[in-house]
Amino acid sequence: MDAILATGTQGMTRERMLVTQQISSEAALVERAQRADSAAFEALYRMHIDKVYGLCLRMTGNAAEAEDCAQDAFIQAWNKLDKFRGDSAFGTWMHRVAVNTVLGRMRKSKREHDRIQAVSDVMNAPDSIGDSSSIQDLEEAINNLPRGARHVFVLHAVYGYSHDETGGMLGIAAGTSKAQLHRAKRLLVQLLDKDE
Amino acid sequence: MNDSDETKFDEKLSRLAATLPTQVSPDRDLWPAIEQAINTRTNTIWNTPWAQAAAVVLLVAGSSGITYVAVRDDGPVSPVVIDTANVFETVSGDFGRRYTLGNEYLDAHSELQNKLDEKLQFLSPEAREAVTKNLQTIRAAIKDINQALAAEPDNMLLQELLLSAYHGEISLMRKVDGIANSAMRRNDI
Repeated sequence: MDAILATGTQGMTRERMLVTQQISSEAALVERAQRADSAAFEALYRMHIDKVYGLCLRMTGNAAEAEDCAQDAFIQAWNKLDKFRGDSAFGTWMHRVAVNTVLGRMRKSKREHDRIQAVSDVMNAPDSIGDSSSIQDLEEAINNLPRGARHVFVLHAVYGYSHDETGGMLGIAAGTSKAQLHRAKRLLVQLLDKDE
Repeated sequence: MNDSDETKFDEKLSRLAATLPTQVSPDRDLWPAIEQAINTRTNTIWNTPWAQAAAVVLLVAGSSGITYVAVRDDGPVSPVVIDTANVFETVSGDFGRRYTLGNEYLDAHSELQNKLDEKLQFLSPEAREAVTKNLQTIRAAIKDINQALAAEPDNMLLQELLLSAYHGEISLMRKVDGIANSAMRRNDI
């Protein structure tokens, strides 16, 4: 048995070993946090805050709002930790909690309505996207997308979730997710062209 | 835009989107606010729903049980001398860390305690035992809630539970006083 383990360990790359160690330590932290150990939860927070804040920032398009969302998401996660069964990675579960938090907050926000109105004023679509479009332009354009299209674009195109997963997170059908992605792309063409 | 342009645009957009950073550090550390929020919401034994229900049931059932046992007509009751000093532990005057019980309450409590010590002698052994057990339970609860309040002085639920437990204790002591008087009157007749 030891020989098998030794062979297995030798065959395992350093990166895989680190990932395995991280997963097992994360699982231990989750277990401790589920027993109301706030120090363990702080460690989980430190491991995931950048991903959660990044997601909140892209979905809200506002740094202050994103901070509030990320903060709320971790508080929600703490309160719902007993529901986390480990079926998915903690980070994936945390993403779902963050998405739900953003959606919940946005339903209450009037500012979002104003944002949608501003984007709907963009009328004429250009024929192509210019080569000078940079990441910064894209970030700004994404921020100006209406809510539904922005959320789908962020989850699908930026974070790489499938349409099924995106739809599941946002509470919409996979087909709707595809339609919103198409809409997002069309609007991005307009927004990026307008910036040039 | 023709199909070819659209495909090129999609590819470029997808490529650009995939390069966007997915991890961004917030400008400030959010943990202190999160820690404060989760610490005030940390579940203690006293703010779980079942514990709240249990506390209510305990108080109601305790006082009802005493009433039932004590008012049963079990025939003549013979006075018994009991060592009440060893039965009841004096409850401290704590009310969380920030609160103290008023002198009026402490005087009334002391007076009722003296009466209780006297009147217990006129109750049946069963009633005495029930009173003793229930008072001990309520006082143990008061002690526990006080300890919990020392850790969470702002917890409104704990404050309400403590107040309710004090009321329960006083109510039970008064009830015993009334029942003992009633028992004496019946015996006199």
